[in-house]
Amino acid sequence: MAVDKVIEIPVSLEVPIGPQHPALHEPVMLKVYAEGEEVVKVEVNTGYNHRGIEKLVEKNSFYRNIFIVSRVCGICNIVHSNAYVRAVEQVMGIEPPGRAKYLRVLAMELERIHSHMIINAIMAEVLGYDTLFMYIMRDREKVMKAKEILTGNRVLGDYLMVGGVRRDLSEVDRERIKDVLIKLEPEVRKYIRVFEEDETIGKRLRGVGVVKPKDVTLHGLVGPTARGSGVNIDARREGYDAYGEVPFNIIVRSDMDSWSRMMVRWHETIESINMCKYVLENLPSDGPAVPDETKLPRKFPVGEAFTRVEAPRGELTYYVMSDGRQNPWRVKIRTPSFNNIINSGFSYIGYTIADVPVILTSYDPCISCMERAIVTDLRRGEKKYVRFKDLNRGLK
Amino acid sequence: MEALSELVKKYALTTYSMKPNRLVIEIPRDRVKEVLKAIKEGCGDTGIYVSTIVGTDFPDKKQVRLDYYLVTHPDDNVYVLRTWLPREDPKVDSILDLFPGALSGECETYDLLGVVFEGNLFIRREFFVPTDVASKEVFPLRKDSGV
Repeated sequence: MAVDKVIEIPVSLEVPIGPQHPALHEPVMLKVYAEGEEVVKVEVNTGYNHRGIEKLVEKNSFYRNIFIVSRVCGICNIVHSNAYVRAVEQVMGIEPPGRAKYLRVLAMELERIHSHMIINAIMAEVLGYDTLFMYIMRDREKVMKAKEILTGNRVLGDYLMVGGVRRDLSEVDRERIKDVLIKLEPEVRKYIRVFEEDETIGKRLRGVGVVKPKDVTLHGLVGPTARGSGVNIDARREGYDAYGEVPFNIIVRSDMDSWSRMMVRWHETIESINMCKYVLENLPSDGPAVPDETKLPRKFPVGEAFTRVEAPRGELTYYVMSDGRQNPWRVKIRTPSFNNIINSGFSYIGYTIADVPVILTSYDPCISCMERAIVTDLRRGEKKYVRFKDLNRGLK
Repeated sequence: MEALSELVKKYALTTYSMKPNRLVIEIPRDRVKEVLKAIKEGCGDTGIYVSTIVGTDFPDKKQVRLDYYLVTHPDDNVYVLRTWLPREDPKVDSILDLFPGALSGECETYDLLGVVFEGNLFIRREFFVPTDVASKEVFPLRKDSGV
């Protein structure tokens, strides 16, 4: 009988991780090659959820696009609309009032708090601490409530508009948000203690996924990933919106490992809580935060702008170009994960397969392994991945 | 660290600013790698990173514009290196060996706009673009792609 199929269980095992997993933020696949337990090579495969948003925004008007770009990312939707709206404002020469800028900072910092909490929760889950995951998620829900009070929605706020924000903040709501933050802070400090003192968390995270400062800049890694390696990159230093007026410390740690990245996020959470409190206590009343939509310009000048915003995951950039028509000629979106995930394949090498989900989660998506074998069809010259348990049912 | 604008002064065709406060330096396409090498040597390994690569199609001009957005560290200044490529033969040297972080940007710009980065062995179709579009051999961000 002629052999037409070969089942290959390589000595250097190829372990595809992703692209679909309940805990996976972004559908990406890591092809991990391992010798024994040690990772020797990682390839990053992308393209599982490309929605063509850059093309879509070229076909819609400047104002409509605010809602489209908000949907690039569910967790950090406000930073996306912020970067886009600020770029459009730059092109149009519009300056929002101070009150709107402060409210934008409040919305973005609330987003940072819940984003950092969710990834720390996911890290707890990856490490096997499901109860800790539940506790952190319970407290994160309070932040979602604060975001709802501010924007009207838990997740997709659609809070920003050209020249300001969509909702002003009443005195009553200001106190409600402050109350949430006051109650949240001791809880966050409790989790910081857990991450600092728990032996298992330390063993799984410390010394794992070390990224040196030189590698951070050469590979273009941004956000807490960079700051966890002692590289002080933070787009907020540009002082956009009210960041030039709201005092804050940039958290930088020099441990360079996965633990360091998670601790940067925890301490940034505290920093963001303080920033939110400052905004709530010092909210200026220099002009209407909500501009009159009917008076917004309907003609757009020719021009281009490049804006950066410090999203929870790192530097997010938008390039917007207008050729004078209703729709932008070009909008380029570069998300932090685009750099942090695709360019970080080097950082897994030398660690074990069990470390891969931990390292990946420390970059702020999440992933888990699936067991598969490679089946090569000799007649067609194709390779396909089959789960071990499916091999029992025979090959088709 | 010498200011980046000084480092690339001799290569610049023209300079102007982009909002807000970004210095745009236009350079010839055959000197992209040379310029980035000079920048890297001047700024050091930890003194600069490639933030974004943006390709834009201009069918009227029969050109594709390629922008490299560089951010200096620790002062956080943004510089734009801009070059123009012929639309029919958009080729430029890859800077992957100088800045491995350009991998994502180069792969994406090839897949969406068709700019070939010579020396980058990782560029391929379907990096982002779905199979049905890639199989038509069109680049979606080209204005005449029909996508």
